[in-house]
Amino acid sequence: MLKRIPYLVEILTAVGLIAAPYLLPYLGFAPNTVNRILVWGLFGIGFDILFGYTGLLSFGQSAFYGTGGFVAAYLLTVLGFPNVWLAILIGTVVASIVGYLVGLVALRRTGIYFAMITVAIAEVFYFVEFSPLSEYTGGENGLPGVPTPSLYLGFTTLHFTGGWAMYPFLAACYFIGIVIALRIVRSPTGAVFSAIRENPLRASAVGHNVHAYKLMAFVVSAVYAGFAGCLLGILQGFMPPEAFTFETSGQLVMQTAIGGTGTLFGPLLGAAVWLFLQDFLQSSLDFGAAWKLVLGVIFVLLVCFLRRGIIGGFVDVIAYFTAKPHPPAPEEAPVTAEISAAISPLASVGLVRRREEAPFTGPVIEARGVTKSFGGIVANKNINFTVEQGELRGIIGPNGAGKSTFFKMLTCEMPPTSGQIFFHGRDITGLDIASVCQLGLTKSYQVNQLFTRLTLRENVVIAALAERRGKFSLDLLRRIDKVPGLDEQVEATLGMVGLTARADVPVAELAYGEKRRLEIALALAASPSLLLLDEPLAGMSPRERVETVQLLKNIRRGRTLIVIDHDMDAIFGLAEKITVLHDGALLAEGTPAEIQRNKLVQEAYLGGVAAA
Amino acid sequence: MKNSNSSSFSRRAVLRQAAATGAGIGAASFGGLAPLGLMSPAWAENHPPIGTYPAGSSGPAVTIGAAVPRTGTYAVQGEDELKGMQLAVEHINSGHELIKKISPKTTKGVLGKEVKIVVADSAANPNNAVQAQQRFISENKVILMTGSTSSAVAVALNKLAQREHVMYVTGISGSNDTTGKDCVRYGFRQDFYGQTAAAALGPVLLKAFGKDKKAAYMTPDYTYGHTVTKSMDDYLSKNGGWKMVTNQISKLGSTDYSSFLTNIANSGAEFLINVNWGQDAVLSIQQAKQFGILPKMKLVVPYQIPFLAPGVGDQTLLEGVYAATDFWWTLEDKYPLAKMFVEAFEKKYNAKPEWGANNGYMSFALWADAVENAGNFYPPDIIKSYEAGRKLQSTVGEVYFRGADHQLVRPVVIVRGKSPGEMKNKEDFWTVTEVVPGEGLMQKPDEFGCNLGDYT
Amino acid sequence: MITWANFIAQLFNGLALGALLALISAGLTIIYGTLGVLNLAHGAMFMLGGYAGFVVFQLTGSFVLAVAGGSLFLVLVGGIIELVIIRHFYGRPPEDQLLVTFGLGIVIVELVRFGFGGLTRIVPPPGWALGVTQLGFLIYPTYRLVELGIAAVSLTLLYIVLYRTRLGMIVRAGIEDSVMVGMLGINVYRVFMVVFGIGAMAAGFAGIVNTPVVSLTPDVGESILVRAFVVIVIGGVGSFPGAVLGGLIAGEIYSLTSMIDPAYSDAMLFVAMTIVLLVRPQGLLGTRGRE
Repeated sequence: MLKRIPYLVEILTAVGLIAAPYLLPYLGFAPNTVNRILVWGLFGIGFDILFGYTGLLSFGQSAFYGTGGFVAAYLLTVLGFPNVWLAILIGTVVASIVGYLVGLVALRRTGIYFAMITVAIAEVFYFVEFSPLSEYTGGENGLPGVPTPSLYLGFTTLHFTGGWAMYPFLAACYFIGIVIALRIVRSPTGAVFSAIRENPLRASAVGHNVHAYKLMAFVVSAVYAGFAGCLLGILQGFMPPEAFTFETSGQLVMQTAIGGTGTLFGPLLGAAVWLFLQDFLQSSLDFGAAWKLVLGVIFVLLVCFLRRGIIGGFVDVIAYFTAKPHPPAPEEAPVTAEISAAISPLASVGLVRRREEAPFTGPVIEARGVTKSFGGIVANKNINFTVEQGELRGIIGPNGAGKSTFFKMLTCEMPPTSGQIFFHGRDITGLDIASVCQLGLTKSYQVNQLFTRLTLRENVVIAALAERRGKFSLDLLRRIDKVPGLDEQVEATLGMVGLTARADVPVAELAYGEKRRLEIALALAASPSLLLLDEPLAGMSPRERVETVQLLKNIRRGRTLIVIDHDMDAIFGLAEKITVLHDGALLAEGTPAEIQRNKLVQEAYLGGVAAA
Repeated sequence: MKNSNSSSFSRRAVLRQAAATGAGIGAASFGGLAPLGLMSPAWAENHPPIGTYPAGSSGPAVTIGAAVPRTGTYAVQGEDELKGMQLAVEHINSGHELIKKISPKTTKGVLGKEVKIVVADSAANPNNAVQAQQRFISENKVILMTGSTSSAVAVALNKLAQREHVMYVTGISGSNDTTGKDCVRYGFRQDFYGQTAAAALGPVLLKAFGKDKKAAYMTPDYTYGHTVTKSMDDYLSKNGGWKMVTNQISKLGSTDYSSFLTNIANSGAEFLINVNWGQDAVLSIQQAKQFGILPKMKLVVPYQIPFLAPGVGDQTLLEGVYAATDFWWTLEDKYPLAKMFVEAFEKKYNAKPEWGANNGYMSFALWADAVENAGNFYPPDIIKSYEAGRKLQSTVGEVYFRGADHQLVRPVVIVRGKSPGEMKNKEDFWTVTEVVPGEGLMQKPDEFGCNLGDYT
Repeated sequence: MITWANFIAQLFNGLALGALLALISAGLTIIYGTLGVLNLAHGAMFMLGGYAGFVVFQLTGSFVLAVAGGSLFLVLVGGIIELVIIRHFYGRPPEDQLLVTFGLGIVIVELVRFGFGGLTRIVPPPGWALGVTQLGFLIYPTYRLVELGIAAVSLTLLYIVLYRTRLGMIVRAGIEDSVMVGMLGINVYRVFMVVFGIGAMAAGFAGIVNTPVVSLTPDVGESILVRAFVVIVIGGVGSFPGAVLGGLIAGEIYSLTSMIDPAYSDAMLFVAMTIVLLVRPQGLLGTRGRE
C-alpha cells in the first residue's frame, strides 16, 4: 500500500519530526526528553536491523555506543578538537571498526551463544573503559564538557545549544539515519537479512554467504550505535561511563521490543514510551524508583502477548480490518485443469543462468569413496557414485539407508569423513554450501525449509538474488528492483511451479502442496545445472503428486536431476537410472527394470517393493 | 509546557520566557516569527537573557534543582545532605535567625521570592545527575543547581553549569579537581577537599605516629579518590618519609573487597589509609576486620564519611582513628552558629546533623547571601558577588570565597574516634581534636590548573 | 604485589569465589540443559535468595533458618515462574525466551527495590563463623572458609541428585533428548518445573550464603549473572561438571589477576571466555552440537 507513493515513509517521517516540537509539549514531553528519545531511536535503528531484520539478538550494543561516544567526546574535550562534525564522523568510524572486529568473534556462534558472547564482550569494553583506559575515558568521571555543535551556513551560524535548540540537529541526524536504514532494508542485502532471520540454513543453501551478511548487519548496527553514542555526549554535554553498561544494552533491547521489532520505528516509539513513563511516573505520579517496575511489567506482558511490540500490534489490527482475502488455495477438481495448465512445459523458458559454465563433457557429479560417520555410527560407507549430464537419477532405499546424509554431502551441507566429491570435474569436497550453490548445484529439502514469515514472491526473490548477485555483494543502498534480470527470474520461476497467482500470499497461508512446490522453486530460482530433490512427493495427496511429477518432468529440461523418494511408481516412471542405498552403502544401480529384478534390492525391501 | 502563572500570562511574558531559554517553541506557537529554537535573544529588562535568566526568576518563586544520591553507595550521606538543604530552604523562606546571621540582608525568601527545591535521585552517578538537572533546567527553569556527594557528579555538573549558564553549588565533593582543573565560573564549593584534608590531617598523623611509616591506601577509582590519595601521599611522604606500599584502587560501589584486602594484608603496611567513601568505606572496613587487617593496622580516614561509625557498627574499629572533616556536631560548643544549626536540625529531624547536612545548609545560605548582595538574579552579577571575597559567617567561624577558584576558604576539622566507653550518647562517635584554619591549607589558586572560563 | 603469601591467599579467594560461581552456574546450566532456556533472570534469583534469607533472618535471628527458608522460597518462586510464564515459551524462538527472562529479571529486581528500598542490607555471619582462622602462615576469614565448605557440600548434594536419583536420570536424559523422555511417558512438564525450581534454588542459596561476605542491594545479581555466563561458556553450556570446573577456573583467574592489578580482573575473565570460544567453542567439558 505504502509503496505506491515513492518516499512516502520518508516524507511522513520528515513531517513528523518537524511537527513534533509543536505537538509533543502538549502531551507533556519536555524538550530534553524528546532529544533523548531521538538518540535512543537512532541507536535502536541499527539494533533493529540486527535483531528485527537479521534475527541476531545482541545484548552488547553498549560496546559500540560507548566507543563511538567516548572517541568523539575525547576528541572534543581532551584534545580540544574544533570540529564537532568531524569528531562525530571519527567516532562513528571507530565504532564500526570495533563492530567489525567484535563481529568476527561473536558471529562464530549463533542463538543464545551469540547473545552471551555479545554480553561478555561488551563487559570487557566496560571494564577496560573503566580502569585501564580511565586516563582517556575519565573512568567513573566520564568526560564532561562536550561542546554543542554549530553549523556555518555562509550568512549565519546555527548554534544547537540545549533544549529545543538542540532538537533540529538531532532530528536531522535521526532523519538521515532512518532514510539510510529504509534504503538498507529495501535493498537486496535487506532481503537477505530477513532471509537469515527466517531460515539461515536455507539462506546459505540458496547461495548466500550468510556469515558475511551477518557481519554486515552487525557492522551496520555498530555504525548506528557509534553515531548515537556521539550524539549522546553532545546532547548531555557529558559522556557518561554508563553508556558502556549492560543496562544500556538491556534498555535498548527492551525499548525495541516494546516499540516493535523489525519496524525501524519501533525503537523510537519504545524510547518514547519508556522515557515518557519514566518522567511521568516519577514526577507526576510520584512513583519514585518504582517506574522501572512498571516498565518491566509492561515489557514482560508485551513479550508474552504482543510479540511484535506496539507497532506490530497496530499493524496487525489495521491488517485485520483492511485485509482483502488472498486468492484461496486451489482446492478441488475444477481447478486442476488450471494448475496443469500453469505447470506447462512452456513455463520453463526464461530461466537463465547468469553465468554459463565452461562446456564440460564428463559426469556432472562424481562421488569417490565417500564415507560419513557420526561418532561410532557409519551413515555412509565408501560410496562411489556418478551422474551424467542431463540424466534424471532416482535414489531409493529403506528408511535409515543414509540417503539424506548422502545428499547433504553432495551439496556440501556437511563434509564427508573421507572420500571426495567432484562437480563438473572440480573437487568440491570441503566447500561451503553457498559456494556450491553458486557453482550450480543445489537441493530441495525433505522437510520444507522456507522463509516462513515472508510472501511466496519474497521467498523466490531471495533465492534468485543469490543467483543474480553472487555469494556476497555490498549493495546496501541499492534498490532491489534495480537488480538486472531479477524480476524475470522470479516470474519465470513462479510460472514454472504454477504459483504466479499466489505470489503475494504469506508462506504460512499456503496449502501443503503449494509449500512443497515453493520448496522446489527456491532451489530452481538459483538456476542450478544439477538439482537434488529430497523426497519431493512426500506427504502429498494423489492429485498433488500428479502435478509435482509433471513439474519434475518440466524442470529436467536443460538440467540434471537426482531425486530421492519413496514413491516407487513415480520414481520408476521418471528416472532413467536408479541407485539403491542400503545400510549406508551402495546396494545396486541400474535401469528401473534392472532394479526391479534385483534380488538384493528385493531382500532389502523384504519383498514389499518387488511385489509392487 | 506548563505555565502556572496564568494571572500574569501576557504575550510579553511568554516571549521573554521563550527567548530566555532558547525555547523558541513558545514564541513560534504564539508569534510565529522565529525559526525553531534559533531566534536571537532580544528581550530583557536590565540584562540579556542567559541560561534560565530571567525566565526562572520572573515569577513569585525561584527553584533550586537538587540531584542527590538517594539510592546506591552514597544514599545515606545523600539523604543527610538533602535534609540540610531542605532546612536551609525552610529557613530562607521564613527568614530564620540563623540565616540572617549568615546572610544579613535576607528578610524572607531570596530577594523577596520564595525558594522552592526540586529533588531527583542521582545515585551518585554523573549520568543520572546530568539528566535530572537538564530536565530541571528545561522544565523548572531552575536558577541554581546543587548536589553531588560524588566528585564525578560535581565535575559533570560544573561543566553542565558552565555550558547552560546556570549557577551550581556543589554538594559533598572532595576532589581537588572540582575547584582545580575542572573549576568553572558558574560553580562554587563550600566544603573541604583532598588538599586541605591532607594538609590539616598530615601534621596530626606525623605528630601522633612519627615518621617513616608504611601505609596501604584504598582508593575509589574516580576523581575524588585519586586526588585525595595523591594529596595524602604527597604530604606524608614529603614531610614524614611515609611510604605507600600499596594502593588498591576499586570501583565505586564495589561489594567484595577480598582481593584488595588480601593484597593489603600481605603488603607489610602498618597503616590502612582508606579513602573509600559511603557504603564502600563501611564495607571495606568491615571486611578488613574479617580479614584480620583491622585492628592490626591503624586505620586513617582522610575524608570523613558521614554515618561511618553507625554503618560500621563496631566502634572499637574506629577508636583512635584520625579523620579530617568539614563539621562535627560537638562544634556547637565552640561556635554559636553551629549550636543554632545543630539545634534547628535536631528539632526538625530528631537527629544530629552530619557534615553533609551542614554543607548543604551552608551552601544555600551562602548562595542566599551572594544573591542578596548582587541585588538581582542575573548569574554574572551573583558570581561577581561571590567573587568579591566578603567575610562571611558560618557554622565554623569566619570564612570567605576565593575569587580565583571559587573555593571557600574555611577551616578543616580534625576528629579522633572515641572508644565505646568514652561515648556520652549514641551519636557521640568523635572527639574534635583540632580546628585547623583554612588559609594555610590551601594550594595556590592555579596550582591544580584552574581556569574559570567566561561569565557569559 | 606478587609474594608467595599473597599468592596462596589469593588462591583461597579464588577458591571461595569459584565455589560460589560454580553453584550459581550449576543452576543456570541445568536449567538450560534440561529446558533449553537460558534464564537471564538467574541473577535476580541470586539476589532474591539473599533478600529472602535476610527476611527470615530478621524474623528468626537464625542464620541456618535463613538459609533454609530462603532456599525453600526460591524453589517455590522458580516453580511458579516456570508454570506461569516459561512453560509457554518452549515453543517460541530462543530470542523470545531471552527477552522474557530478561524482563522477568528486571521485574524481580525492581519489586525488591520497591519493597526494600535501594539501601544495602546486611546479614551477619553466624556467631561461630566470626573472626579469622590461622592456616599456617595465612590468616583467613573463618566465614569464607565456611562458605567454601557450604558450597562444596551443596555442589556434592546437587551432584548426587543429578547423578544418583531417578529425577536426576530423567533430567540428564532430558538434556540429551527431551522428546524421547516425553515419549517414555514421563510428565516432562512436571520435571521441567522441578528443574527450574532447583536451578533457581541453587542461585538463591548462593545468594544467601554470600550475603555475610558482601552486602545486599537489589543490584547484586547483575554482575553475578554475567560472570555465570563466563563460567558456563568456559565449562560447556549444559554441563554440570563444566559449571564446577568453569567456576573454579573463573574464580582463580579473577583472584590471581587481582594480585597483579585488580583493575584487570573482570576484563581477564572475559578474555578467557573469548579464548575458550575461539579454541574450543563447545567449552572445556561440553559436547559439540548443542546450540
